[in-house]
Amino acid sequence: MDMLLFGPELYFLLVALVLFCLSLKRQPHPRAVNTIAATLAGLGVLVALVCLFQRGDLFFQAYRVDLFSQIFKFALALGLFLVFMISRNLAGIEERLHPEFYLFLTTCTLGMMMLVSSVELLTIYVSLELSSYSLYILVPLRRGDDIDVEAGIKYLFIGAVSSGFMLFGLSYIFGATHSTYLVDIIPRMPQLLASPIGLVGVLLALAGFLFKLSVFPFHFWAPDVYQGGANQVVTFIATASKAAAVALVLRIAALGASAGYSFAQTLVILSIVSMTLGNLVAIIQKDLKRMLAYSSIAHAGYILMGVLAFSEAGYASAVYYALAYLIMNFTVFMVLNEVATDGRDLKIAELAGLYHRSPLLTLSLILGIFALAGVPPSIGFTGKLLLFTSAMNQGYFFLVLIGAVNGTISLYYYLKVVYAAYFLSGEGLPPIRLSWPTRLLNYGLCVSIIGFGVFPNFIVELARTAVRAVL
Amino acid sequence: MLVFNQLQTYLYLALILFAIGLYGVLARRNLIAILISVELILNAAMINFMAFNRFLAPHPAVGQIIALFIMAVAAAEAAIALSIIIAVYRKLKAINVEQATELRG
Repeated sequence: MDMLLFGPELYFLLVALVLFCLSLKRQPHPRAVNTIAATLAGLGVLVALVCLFQRGDLFFQAYRVDLFSQIFKFALALGLFLVFMISRNLAGIEERLHPEFYLFLTTCTLGMMMLVSSVELLTIYVSLELSSYSLYILVPLRRGDDIDVEAGIKYLFIGAVSSGFMLFGLSYIFGATHSTYLVDIIPRMPQLLASPIGLVGVLLALAGFLFKLSVFPFHFWAPDVYQGGANQVVTFIATASKAAAVALVLRIAALGASAGYSFAQTLVILSIVSMTLGNLVAIIQKDLKRMLAYSSIAHAGYILMGVLAFSEAGYASAVYYALAYLIMNFTVFMVLNEVATDGRDLKIAELAGLYHRSPLLTLSLILGIFALAGVPPSIGFTGKLLLFTSAMNQGYFFLVLIGAVNGTISLYYYLKVVYAAYFLSGEGLPPIRLSWPTRLLNYGLCVSIIGFGVFPNFIVELARTAVRAVL
Repeated sequence: MLVFNQLQTYLYLALILFAIGLYGVLARRNLIAILISVELILNAAMINFMAFNRFLAPHPAVGQIIALFIMAVAAAEAAIALSIIIAVYRKLKAINVEQATELRG
C-alpha cells in the first residue's frame, strides 16, 4: 500500500533510470528515444491519476501525500508529457544529447514532485535543488551560438544565490522554532513573527521559491533564460516548473499567514512591482520568447494576489490559476515550437501569415493568447476573476485596481501577436504540416481552454478541498 | 573564554559571512570568485544551523545532519557550476562576466 503512496515518484525514478540507460548508447536514434520517452511519460500521467486520491505520511512525517500534492503531481506529469509530445523535432539540441535532454527533464519532474509533498525543511531544500540542478544543466545544452552558456551561467548564479538566501532564512526558522517540521513550526509562528528574526526568516525562505516563480526581485534570469534556452526546455520551465513553484509558495507563505499586516504588505508590494514591471517591459519586446518571459513575471504578480489573501478562496484560486497557466502558456509555446521548426528564436513578426500557413495553429495561438490576456470565456479569465475576487474580499481594493489596469496594458502586447498572425502577410512561406498527434494535442488544448473556463466548478471545488490541508 | 560559548557570537559570524558572500556575488567580475562567494553564503547558513543546534535544539543531531546535507548539495552545485564555467570559457575565451553580455533588453 505504501508503494501506491509513493507511486508517481517511484515511477518517474524508474523512467529516469531507463532514460539513463538510453543515454549510454553511443549513437541514439532520436525518433525512437522520443517515442519511448513520450510513451513512458504518458503512462506517468495515468500513474499520477491513479494516485490522485492517495493520502498518508511517509519518511517519519517528512513527506505528506494529500490531495494538494497529488493535484500538483498530476499537473507536473501532464506538463512533462506535453513537453515530450512537442519534442519530436528537437532541432535545438545536438542529436547525441537527446537522451540526456529527456533524462534531466524527468529528474527535474521527480524533484518537483518530491518538492510539492515535502513538509520538512531539509526535504524541501534537497528536492528543490534536485529540480533546479537538472534545469541548470538543461539550459546550456542548446546547440549553436554563445547565448546558451551565457543564459545558463546567469540562471545558475541567480538560482544559487536565491537558494542560499532561502537556506539562510530556513536556518533562522529552525533556530527560532527548534524544529524542521512545518507541522511543528506553524503553531509557533504567531509569536515568532512579532520578532524580526521570524519575519526575516520567512521572507528569506520565500526567496528560493520566488526565484522559481520569477517574482521581482528574483526575476532577472527569466528573459535571458527564455531567450537563451532551447525552445522545449523553456516550455518546461515556463509551465511545469511554475506550477511547482506556486505549490511551494503556498506552503511557505502559510507560515506567515498569522503575521497579518507587515507580511502581507511585503507580498502586496512584490506583487504590484512584478506585474507592473513585467507588463511594461513586455510591450517593447520583439522576440516572442522574451515577451513571454516578461509576461510570466506579470503572471507571477497575479498569482501572488491569491497567496496574500491567506484565505481558502485565495489559495484555491492560486491553485486554479497555476493549472490554467500551465495549459494556456503551453499552448502558446507549442505554436512557437511548431513554427520555429529549426529551433531558432522566433520574432513576433515571424508569425506573419500564420493564418494562411496553418489555421489550426492560429486558432490555438489566439485562444492561448486570449487566455493569457484574460479575455472571457477562457480559462485565464476565470482564473483572474477568482484571484481578483479573493483579493477584493480581503479588502485589497488598491491592489485589485492596479491588477485590472495591468490586465488592460497586457492586452496591447498580446494583441500584437494576434495581429501578426492574422493581418501581416507572409508571402511565399510554405504551409505548416502537422502530424496527427500534434493535431489531437491542438484540439485537446483548445477544448480545455474554453471548457474549463466556462465550467470551472469541478477544478475549483477540487482546489478548495486540496488547500484546506495547507492552511 | 565566555564569548566562544555564546550563541550570539556564532550568529554574528554567520551574518558577516553572509554579507561578505553577498558583496562578493554583486561586486566580483570573475565567475570563479562569484562561485566562491555563493559557497560563503551556504557556509553562513551552515554555521547558523550548527550554532542553533549546539545551543538551542532539543535534539542534538538535526542541525549536524542538515549541515552534512548542505555540504553534499553544495559539492554537486560546485561541480555543475564549474562545468558550465568551462563551457563558457570554451565559447567566450574568458570567464569574466563582462564578456557575457549578449542577452539584454
